Amino acid sequence: MNYLAALRNTLLSVVLSSTAALALANTYEAKLPDEINTAPELCKYAPCTEVLPGATSFSERKGQPPYVEAYAEEGGKKKLVGYVMLSTDITDTPAYSGKPVITLIGMDTGGRFVGVKILKHSEPILLLGIPESSLVRFNQQYLNKFVGDNIEIGQSRPEENIIGLDAISGATVTVIAQNQVMMTSGTSVARQVGILKPTIREQAKFVDSGIKPDWASLVKEGAVKRIVVTPEQVGLPRGGEPFIDLWFGYLNQPDIGRAVLGDGPYNSLMSGLKEGEHALFVIRSGGAQSFKGSGFVRGGIYDRVQVRQGADSFTFRDTDAFNLYGVAAPGAPAFNESAIFIVRSKAFSAAYPWKFVFLGNRVDRATGARSFANFDTEYWLPAQYLQGGRPEVVKPDAPWVRVWKTRAVEIALFAALLIAVATVYAFRDKLTRRATHKNKWPVNVFKYGAWIISIGFVGFGMLAQPSITQVLTWFHALLFQWTWELFLSDPFIFLFWIFIIVTVFVWGRGLFCGWLCPFGSLSELLYKVGGAVGLKRFQFQLPRRWHNRLKWVKYGVFFGLLAVSFFSMGLAEKLAEVEPFKTTFLVGLFNRSWPYTLFAAGLLGLSIFTERPFCKYLCPLGASLAMPSTFRWFGLKRKQECSSCKACAVGCGSQAIDENGRIDHRECLHCLDCMVLYTDDHACPPLAQERKRRTKAGLALTPIGADGYFIPIQPVPARADAAAMKNSIKN
Amino acid sequence: MVNPKMPTDPAEPPYASTDSVLHLFAAEVWDHLWPWSHHGFQRQRALHAASIALALAASVVWVLAAMGQMQAGALIGWWFGWSVFEVVVRLGSKPYVKDGPWWGRRYRVANTMDMVCYVGFKNLLIGATLFIVLKSSGFLIVQG
Repeated sequence: MNYLAALRNTLLSVVLSSTAALALANTYEAKLPDEINTAPELCKYAPCTEVLPGATSFSERKGQPPYVEAYAEEGGKKKLVGYVMLSTDITDTPAYSGKPVITLIGMDTGGRFVGVKILKHSEPILLLGIPESSLVRFNQQYLNKFVGDNIEIGQSRPEENIIGLDAISGATVTVIAQNQVMMTSGTSVARQVGILKPTIREQAKFVDSGIKPDWASLVKEGAVKRIVVTPEQVGLPRGGEPFIDLWFGYLNQPDIGRAVLGDGPYNSLMSGLKEGEHALFVIRSGGAQSFKGSGFVRGGIYDRVQVRQGADSFTFRDTDAFNLYGVAAPGAPAFNESAIFIVRSKAFSAAYPWKFVFLGNRVDRATGARSFANFDTEYWLPAQYLQGGRPEVVKPDAPWVRVWKTRAVEIALFAALLIAVATVYAFRDKLTRRATHKNKWPVNVFKYGAWIISIGFVGFGMLAQPSITQVLTWFHALLFQWTWELFLSDPFIFLFWIFIIVTVFVWGRGLFCGWLCPFGSLSELLYKVGGAVGLKRFQFQLPRRWHNRLKWVKYGVFFGLLAVSFFSMGLAEKLAEVEPFKTTFLVGLFNRSWPYTLFAAGLLGLSIFTERPFCKYLCPLGASLAMPSTFRWFGLKRKQECSSCKACAVGCGSQAIDENGRIDHRECLHCLDCMVLYTDDHACPPLAQERKRRTKAGLALTPIGADGYFIPIQPVPARADAAAMKNSIKN
Repeated sequence: MVNPKMPTDPAEPPYASTDSVLHLFAAEVWDHLWPWSHHGFQRQRALHAASIALALAASVVWVLAAMGQMQAGALIGWWFGWSVFEVVVRLGSKPYVKDGPWWGRRYRVANTMDMVCYVGFKNLLIGATLFIVLKSSGFLIVQG
């Protein structure tokens, strides 16, 4: 009874621990009210007081991109104490899952972050592998930091004025995306409310050549640009007509302005502009949507168009818009809506690139939910219109480029490791010929070296353990939003997958699974160490009939995960905990609740006694790679005698050689033991037999050919011999 | 006698011995796209008839997707269902797969797992290509 009670308690603990872990992940795919994206009263639907402590009331959404003002009661009066913004109102930066982390951000009037709350995320790694509290702790690093600071993931670099934030191990891509969300949202609002001063740019000096290009020339030169938004880009059914088709251009430049407007209107427009004011025209040549917005009211701002230059945004009020009655340039398209907008800021300069932005909402056709989306086209006045041409512009590196630059040494070392292992394997024939059944070091020195580097540097150091969750995440990203930048943000995993895909098709999965998978390497290393320290007598292989049954389990696990992922990615990610990788490398054996630790430690413990039990029977990633390995280009060699000889099969650790001597390339882990035997004339029975025969007959032992046999001794025909002798006498 | 140099026994599709590379290429493309054979039809009439009906239904589903009237989940479900059936059909009609380099001419008898791998991989490529084309051109509804 006591045993039963203990078992029951154990099972109960497992269930409770698992449930506790799930309960923590309360914002994973949380259901948010639809109004949170669109309602003027954002704080009616979002917990604004949690991110702006002390605030008692909030305004409606205002500004472009939108934010709300937060007020506190002081002496019976309302006092502005800060701003609250919903990240998806400002940027649609996706995180690793391909979906954004929806974040509510509070900032005080001095531009310091005072609160951050994740409302919803779809990050699989934060579901079970890494506690969601890690992201909460990551976000807390922003508190009291000024929005104008250079905040980056990684170490602080005071000499460059860069404040570093500690990343979350194993969720680098997520935190890089989150940093982009925080800084983009914060600076966007801070600039609107005047906390951050606009960048002052040197004003453009124009060339006035008196030439009036026609429309086609203006378009060809880039003096007039176009934005086309299709219905499907905003989630509407595909149709023949674009959602909106806009042309725009900069008018202050005399040649362009006169060409577009004609002399009279151009002179009139310019005479009304003050210093630091810039005019641009917009016409709509297609689509039924108004770029001015159907809900525009006098005194309001145009909420569908905007100009951005660097980090500065310029919106237009009703007083910034004038009628445009016609376009003078010959060949201009017919249009049914037009306007001249005035940018009134010295921060704007036509000498530098800027973007015209159409702000829209994307409707999810399946759920009807709306989300923020913008569409922009870059405009940079062609060099011939600027005195001295275009100034030099140094664009800041994209976040993924910064990651590659800051980790360049480690990335180079990792790439070198991958190339070295592939090269060594490509020359395996030379190594296996040097090795013998009794001395496999010419092969093993490379293989064991790869294991140790893979465990220490790749697994524990770089946390670059490939996983089935990445395959599922890619599938998800393919469905929703594929962003190369996000996958590039984790350079080690990115490079590893290129290596895996290439080598699986060339040689099969064995090179990755058998030589470079950190968990697989750790598992087999434990087996080898176990054997070396005297546990060999306890080591065993499963009987063939059980192996042949159990090897299918991993395919079942893989197909099960794939099937579940069709219905629920979240559940699939949870079930992917069947991989002990997160526990072993990403989070650490002693940093997780005990059921996970017990599972991973149990598998590693079992690995001491039987070779790679997880790889052979459970690994869904191995199964997913085994399937394309069916069509690998180059397999391992066999002789006809292998059908009756069992020498290789008996020594095959992965039990991939069947009773007919055939290698199952889906199961083979490329240990190369059979290839060592293939050319070992003391261990390979047909070779040993031939060696003995030749030795007995006093015949030469010729080298072993590519077919695995001694090169036959070809007697030189007597006639040819005589002819050769004659020739030699003549000479 | 078993040939251990191949994972299964060698096979020779009707087109394998052709001298024309173009003919071989065209025959292989046809083989990838057309799972049925005269020989297979003679042996398993009911199965093959059912498979043709299912293939037609799956094709209609792709057409519906191209007309914007099919959700991604339903499309994937149909494609998966058809793929399972295709494995059964091919095992009866074209029970071989290529061995070694894809540009080579070595073919071998396919066991069930070989065929699952072949059909799974082939249909993943076909499905992903069509899926991405339809999605990027806005026809396909993807639940967010």
